[in-house]
Amino acid sequence: MRLAFVGKGGVGKSAIAGTFCRVLARQGHPVLAIDSDPLPGLAYSLGLAISDAPLPDEAVEERAEGEDGPRYRLRTGLTAGDAVDRYAVTAPDGVRFLQFGKHRSQTGRGLFRSQFAFRQITRELPEDRWNIIGDLPGGTRQPFTGWGNFARTILIVVEPTAKSLLTARRLSRLALDEEHPRRVLAVANKVREDGDVEMVADRTGLEVIGIVPWDEALAEAEQKMAAPIDMAPDSPAVKAVESLVEQLSEERIA
Amino acid sequence: MEAGIGTLTRLGEERVDAVLVVVEPTPKSIEVGQRAAELARDKQLGRLIIVASRVRNDADMDTITRAFPDQEIVPIPDDPAIVEADRKGVAPLDLAPDSPAVTALCQLARSLLPVPA
Amino acid sequence: MRVAVVGKGGSGKTTTSAVVARTLARHGASVVALDCDSNPNLGLSLGVGDFETERLESMRESLDEGGEEHAPGWDDLIERFGSDAPDGVRLAVVSRIDNPSPG
Repeated sequence: MRLAFVGKGGVGKSAIAGTFCRVLARQGHPVLAIDSDPLPGLAYSLGLAISDAPLPDEAVEERAEGEDGPRYRLRTGLTAGDAVDRYAVTAPDGVRFLQFGKHRSQTGRGLFRSQFAFRQITRELPEDRWNIIGDLPGGTRQPFTGWGNFARTILIVVEPTAKSLLTARRLSRLALDEEHPRRVLAVANKVREDGDVEMVADRTGLEVIGIVPWDEALAEAEQKMAAPIDMAPDSPAVKAVESLVEQLSEERIA
Repeated sequence: MEAGIGTLTRLGEERVDAVLVVVEPTPKSIEVGQRAAELARDKQLGRLIIVASRVRNDADMDTITRAFPDQEIVPIPDDPAIVEADRKGVAPLDLAPDSPAVTALCQLARSLLPVPA
Repeated sequence: MRVAVVGKGGSGKTTTSAVVARTLARHGASVVALDCDSNPNLGLSLGVGDFETERLESMRESLDEGGEEHAPGWDDLIERFGSDAPDGVRLAVVSRIDNPSPG
């Protein structure tokens, strides 16, 4: 799988993405979870107590003058797979986690290096071995054309409110790009009433591949900065994410 | 970028009359709010008000008070009318002008008006 | 009077901005509401409706992509790229490229 979750701030995307990663990993698949949000949403939803996980300086080297290509790359001899094995943080169920690098915790120069390496990893990590699940910020075009390029499938997390639907339409336009063919699908979150799912499908024009009901357990887990799958494994929301994993695995479209 | 912080940094030398930092009683929202408040104070941008949004009970209020000691805090109660307005995509002021949250926001607005000399 | 409303996405800043803007307008102020968010939804909370909110957003996007001539000044931005909201509030969606300047 090469999947990215996107959505308007507050829609619940990190909780769903984090739970998705844990479920997939429990089924025995190697999962790399990646995040570029400076706020620690995905990490907490995975069950990690940290808020930053960039690649260390030693993993990255500067390209020699005269050589083609991006300014920084993984150290010679370090493959993408090695870099993940060695440097990615390990979350419960063996999920590996890498963060794009927060602005605050690094100097400008340090951030730059880590970001290049991050992109290289998403491009070079072997497809037949690793699943990459990303959490993309909700706003601008840049992530879609930048490191978010790894994603073959974009899951737009939408709640049944006018604002969220408006944002979903916008994100869907940004995600659909002739240069990088991708499948764009919707996951309806905080579903309460009959007709919510239909509304999401109608007003976004997207196929709704996952339906997550309104569930206090997700909000509570967020408050406690914990993983929903640890705090409330039998909750309706977690069950819904399990179905989503199944759905995407069966269809082999991710 | 967290919503609004980029714009705050661009405000530079100019004063604004008030900066309303809207914060929910959740860890992430508070973290963003704290950064914004710090920025606003450093730049001395004018009156700083923490708008505590979706306050359900005393515990919620405590969470925010602890995160923003010595700041002016205006609580806005958790209100199903706002949720309803959001679902429908209409103005809360039109849908439910007398609801608790709308009333509190109107009061906040009035407190921003210049006092007649 | 200038009021800046900031906060994490989803915290309620758009709702807050909208009610404050229209209330100030109802008390006689001449109000311009500027939506600087990367997901500009202020129109919905102000009450201009889905269609108009989306129209303003697309206009902002084409501005960003260079499809439209950039507004030379603040007044021009509000005049040409703004929309009328209830209670006489004028709404404009601000491109990332524009900087708020005095006036």
